[in-house]
Amino acid sequence: MAAFEDLVQALDRPPAASTVTSVRQPEALRQAMRAAVELGWAASSNDGLNQAVRVQLEAFAQRLALDAHYAAYPDSRPGLAEVAQALAELDHSPLAEHPELLRAAASEVLAVRPDADADDVVLWAASLHRHGFSSSSDVTPPHAAAGAGRESRRT
Amino acid sequence: MRFVSAVAVLDNEAAQALADPTHRKHPRMLAILAAAAGRNRRTAGSVSVVVPTAVRVEALLDRGAPRAAELGRLRVSDVPLDTGRADRAARLRSAAGGSTVDAIVVEAAERLAADGGLATVYSADLADLPRLAARSARPERILIRRL
Repeated sequence: MAAFEDLVQALDRPPAASTVTSVRQPEALRQAMRAAVELGWAASSNDGLNQAVRVQLEAFAQRLALDAHYAAYPDSRPGLAEVAQALAELDHSPLAEHPELLRAAASEVLAVRPDADADDVVLWAASLHRHGFSSSSDVTPPHAAAGAGRESRRT
Repeated sequence: MRFVSAVAVLDNEAAQALADPTHRKHPRMLAILAAAAGRNRRTAGSVSVVVPTAVRVEALLDRGAPRAAELGRLRVSDVPLDTGRADRAARLRSAAGGSTVDAIVVEAAERLAADGGLATVYSADLADLPRLAARSARPERILIRRL
């Protein structure tokens, strides 16, 4: 865990100091970055590279932190339907007002794709909603029957 | 497709629930974090979770203390209050009422939604926040959600 704490502390530190480093880059990537800067990707290749690395490291740290938290508090791990509900809320999707439909979609999606994520569930629920389904009782189960009870799969 | 970012802004109880694994709303908060992490896995940097510093004061969450350290590990970032933000929050509160912290929360959501993003405020108090959000510059991009 020391490396993880180092990662978090370094990400939180103000980016005041900078260090010149030597990084071996593929020539094609360097040219691609130069072209991307001309197209408005970033103020410079250096800025774009640093920003891209930061968002990737932030996402990586967040996943590691969640995994560690679930390991410490197993009962706190949300189900896929709960995560899909939260994602619909963050997207301001009208599906957030249909938690039953999201639960049914989570059950169906997991029957087809056990490694599905919340985006998969929201997409599936959007399709169901578009075709007139508005609650779990509307969803005829060939898949839901197979996946019954699996909607609570832990993420 | 145009890239639209999303941000979750935590009010007092939301921040407390996230920091305290025994809080009854802790799993709900982790679902929000997991949704952010899942979307960021697909598109890094697309969803952020923030807490205004005034909320941390109200919730007694000192990042240096063990109880609140998890906020940092889970990459919940602060929205600091500077002069401009304080002025804006004061104007919002003058127009719509509510508590000081409520106005600061909505100011943070307004600022984060200003570049086309979507802001969702998580709170247990739905009395004043919707009124403040309605008086913001981006009411169509700010939703108040019950925790």
